[in-house]
Amino acid sequence: MLRIDLASRVPVYEQIANGLRAELVSGKFSPGEKLPTVRTLAINLGVHHNTVAEAYRQLANEGWLELKRHRGAIVRERDHPEAGPDTMERFTRPLRELVAKGLADGLSPSSLAREMIEAARGLEERTAP
Amino acid sequence: MTHQPIETQVIIAVTIGGMVILNAAILWFMPRLTRPDLYFAVTVPPGFPDEPDGKSILSRYRKELILVSLIALVVFVAGIALLGMRFGPVGPLIQTAAGFLAFYRARKRVLPHAVQPTMIREAELQPYTRIIPGGWIAASGPFVLLALCTGYLWIHGSSPARGIIYAVTMTVSLIGLTVLLYGLAHWVRPVYSGGPERVRELQFRRTVAAVILGAEYYLTIQSSWLLLVPPHQGLISLGLFPLALIFALVVILVLARFGQGGSRLASARKSSTASAPPVGDRTADRYWKLGVFYFNPDDSAIFIEKRFGLGYSLNFARPTTWGIMALLLIAPLVAVLAHLTQFLPKRV
Repeated sequence: MLRIDLASRVPVYEQIANGLRAELVSGKFSPGEKLPTVRTLAINLGVHHNTVAEAYRQLANEGWLELKRHRGAIVRERDHPEAGPDTMERFTRPLRELVAKGLADGLSPSSLAREMIEAARGLEERTAP
Repeated sequence: MTHQPIETQVIIAVTIGGMVILNAAILWFMPRLTRPDLYFAVTVPPGFPDEPDGKSILSRYRKELILVSLIALVVFVAGIALLGMRFGPVGPLIQTAAGFLAFYRARKRVLPHAVQPTMIREAELQPYTRIIPGGWIAASGPFVLLALCTGYLWIHGSSPARGIIYAVTMTVSLIGLTVLLYGLAHWVRPVYSGGPERVRELQFRRTVAAVILGAEYYLTIQSSWLLLVPPHQGLISLGLFPLALIFALVVILVLARFGQGGSRLASARKSSTASAPPVGDRTADRYWKLGVFYFNPDDSAIFIEKRFGLGYSLNFARPTTWGIMALLLIAPLVAVLAHLTQFLPKRV
């Protein structure tokens, strides 16, 4: 199930892309499987279809999806990419912001760390070749 | 001017009078048939309708409704007595307009109690669920009936003009209703994407689809019957008027049993929890013009649950909606134009 928050400051297309990526990383969709069409997903979420199309394009650029006219979005077999020098840098900032939000909401540093490690391990197990 | 026999006038008057009474009954119960966190098309906390303020608004609305319905009934009876049967359809129209006024006044009283609905939206990523009962085979039935009847008229009919008008108006009507069926299957934005609420919603959608399908069959059979039976078999043909009323009554009772979006089904009360903020129909109040017209250009959905009423409304910000509206209006327009041409002087 995909969930977005229209009140969030994160753009909707990014929330959709993030949600779908999480589903793809967790292996809920196998290569060759079809995702809902742009229109169907836009209707189900009650957002403009351009917003969903943008999210699909983003995932296609990352190599997760293959977009075909009139056939929708098909999940691609994706190689595990090598992390470049700037990869960690791209994650540090949003991660720090997320951790700060968690701490501000009363979570302890240790529980946050435990949560992150468990999430990463869970996804690693599912995506392991 | 044509004069109709007295029994014809009585049947038409009883049917229209029945429509006025039925309309009043629907409007009476409507505030209690919507989702629990929507009240007079405004998002409210789920318990609000049972609070003193909520009850007082409802009581005032119902008093106004009785008043306008009585006025509509008096105008209807007086109009028929003074101007004849041609005045008949004006009665329900007056009542609908006045009923809307009562609703609008109640809505204005609810607005100060409005709360922001949840901004969370969910979508199921699994494939499409079957909505149309009997699938497209059942949906093609009325078209087959229409083709058979048109074929019969083509071979045996004595009045080709009537046959053509019948074929054109019925084809357009059926296409319009089939588009509605397709829309129910593909263009509805669900309020819940999982859990028992989702199951109830799907049940409700299937019921509405069954109603549309039933209406397609009903319309085709009625029109074919009217065309195939010899003219002036008055009472047999007129029997279809009360039958239409009975059909409408059954539909309303079935939908009322479900409640909007299945919210009145037995399991709804058990599973409903007071959530903050309320879910409502996951649309902001500002997109509902006058409380009944949904206009949201950022929403791709064409069909949206009505906020005050049973079934679905259209998103008037989408071009597809206007296409559907045009389709649904063409058939009656063709029928009216065809009727009017009968009064034009004939060329010799």
